[in-house]
Amino acid sequence: MQTWDMGIPELQESTTDEKLKSELLTVNMGPQHPATHGVLRVEIKTDSEIVAEAIPHLGYLHRCMEKHSESVDFRGVLPFIDRLDYLASMSQEYTYSAAVEKMLGTEVPERAQVIRMMVLELQRIASHLMAFGTYALDLGAFSPFLYAFDEREKILRFFEEISGARLLYNYIWIGGVWNDVTDKQIDSLKNFLDEFEKEVVKYDELVSSNKIFQSRTMNVGVLSLDDALSFGATGPVLRGSGHAWDLRKTEPYLLYDKVDFDIPIAHGQKGSVVGDCFSRYIVRMEEVTESIKIVRQCFDMLKPGPIIGKVPKIIKVPKGEIYMKTECPRGELGVHLVCDGGKTPYRVKIKSPCFTNVSILPHIAPGQMIADFVASIGSIDIVLGEVDR
Amino acid sequence: MNNNESLTVSKYFENIYNAVKTSLIGMGITIKYVLTTKPVTIEYPEVREVLPDTARMRLYNDAVNCISCNMCATVCPVDCIYISSVPRPKDLEVPKTEDGSSKKQVLTQFVIDTALCCYCGLCTTVCPTECLTHTDDYEYSQYEVDGMKFDYTSEELISWRDRLVVQK
Repeated sequence: MQTWDMGIPELQESTTDEKLKSELLTVNMGPQHPATHGVLRVEIKTDSEIVAEAIPHLGYLHRCMEKHSESVDFRGVLPFIDRLDYLASMSQEYTYSAAVEKMLGTEVPERAQVIRMMVLELQRIASHLMAFGTYALDLGAFSPFLYAFDEREKILRFFEEISGARLLYNYIWIGGVWNDVTDKQIDSLKNFLDEFEKEVVKYDELVSSNKIFQSRTMNVGVLSLDDALSFGATGPVLRGSGHAWDLRKTEPYLLYDKVDFDIPIAHGQKGSVVGDCFSRYIVRMEEVTESIKIVRQCFDMLKPGPIIGKVPKIIKVPKGEIYMKTECPRGELGVHLVCDGGKTPYRVKIKSPCFTNVSILPHIAPGQMIADFVASIGSIDIVLGEVDR
Repeated sequence: MNNNESLTVSKYFENIYNAVKTSLIGMGITIKYVLTTKPVTIEYPEVREVLPDTARMRLYNDAVNCISCNMCATVCPVDCIYISSVPRPKDLEVPKTEDGSSKKQVLTQFVIDTALCCYCGLCTTVCPTECLTHTDDYEYSQYEVDGMKFDYTSEELISWRDRLVVQK
């Protein structure tokens, strides 16, 4: 370290052989940076505008959720599970409820299963709309954000009508769902989906076909399939690297084996490179279309009947453990539930898709411009509530 | 950096042409949106949104019908409900709630710390007399955190019953 009492150093004649001293500049991106989607801090070592190294620092949103779950009863865990991925609460609730139901051996009525499937897909649409809007916002386009929120609001309104809350629903209960869906709500949903289908085409014209957007995302942050598999990436990140892996198809749960849908994968749409930011983005947009298809089929499968199965008033789960995994909007969410026969879970371990997806950042960052790095963060669509838990 | 292909002069101008063209298409969509779509926002204090019946806003306990069974406090995942009650003296008549259950305990305190509440709605589902409900009142900000603790046995809060419960 230099101190001030050294005086003015004497000027030395520099020789031509001597190189100028150069070192990497460390810049902290976040935790309050708008482009990091929450409280992610990325320590970037930059060589002028080029990122040489990126180290994500986690833990700013750690809320001891897993530990806290051990002290509340099985129903009381649900509000905490909601707060993991606050943009896709329904998916989290379903994974946990399904784990407990499997341990209890509860049979879920068919109507409840169809309603669950419907809300899960609507939640996927809402979550992908958020990803779409904020991604466009990251890259400098403001209006897609407003369009996406306009449509997302209608889905949230439906959720508010059935569950009472807009984000943290506590709707999917152990054994079924809380409230029933009325025919009037189904009709308004049908109208919404008809209008929304046109909106998706509009998004495609507005953003996906835009040359500036394409130049910002294509061939940026390329993640090869081998890397994606070795990092354990799931969800749109894995499918964006060209691997057709979707738990709804490969290991069907609920009634997904009875509905007809495709797994969208990246195959170089609109001239992109498989595995780049544009691939991950376009996979999400195509998934929205597939989800609309599933929700429409759910309307036909909806038959009158009970919405909650037989669950004891005080849930005591037999001793044992289970690992339940489902396909969330951001990837594969796993709940490892260990029970010791008491009223509270012994351990609730969450395998978060965002946590594994964020680990690809240090791999794809070196050599990128800082602006491209922002595009890379946006394309993996992380929610920090789930990363830190 | 992005393109490995060499950039020719014609390609350079083609890129500019495409960028302008696709941006103009996007701008067309936006202009269409501006001209045809009605505003979706509302001016809040003057215009209020009608919330659905199921909306989970502030909790209200109707102390008249509460039998102090403590079930809500047990099920609460954040432990924000504080109830204390004493057995009713034997020489007094046991009052009944509206649905006919007898109030064997005298409710002395029913406090909900609304600042701690996570609005999950579990307490309202276990309530046997359905006296604890979510109302559609959402405007109750306070200057101090202690102000968020509401004692539903106090005179002031009992008088809110007409505004919050009956109206719904």
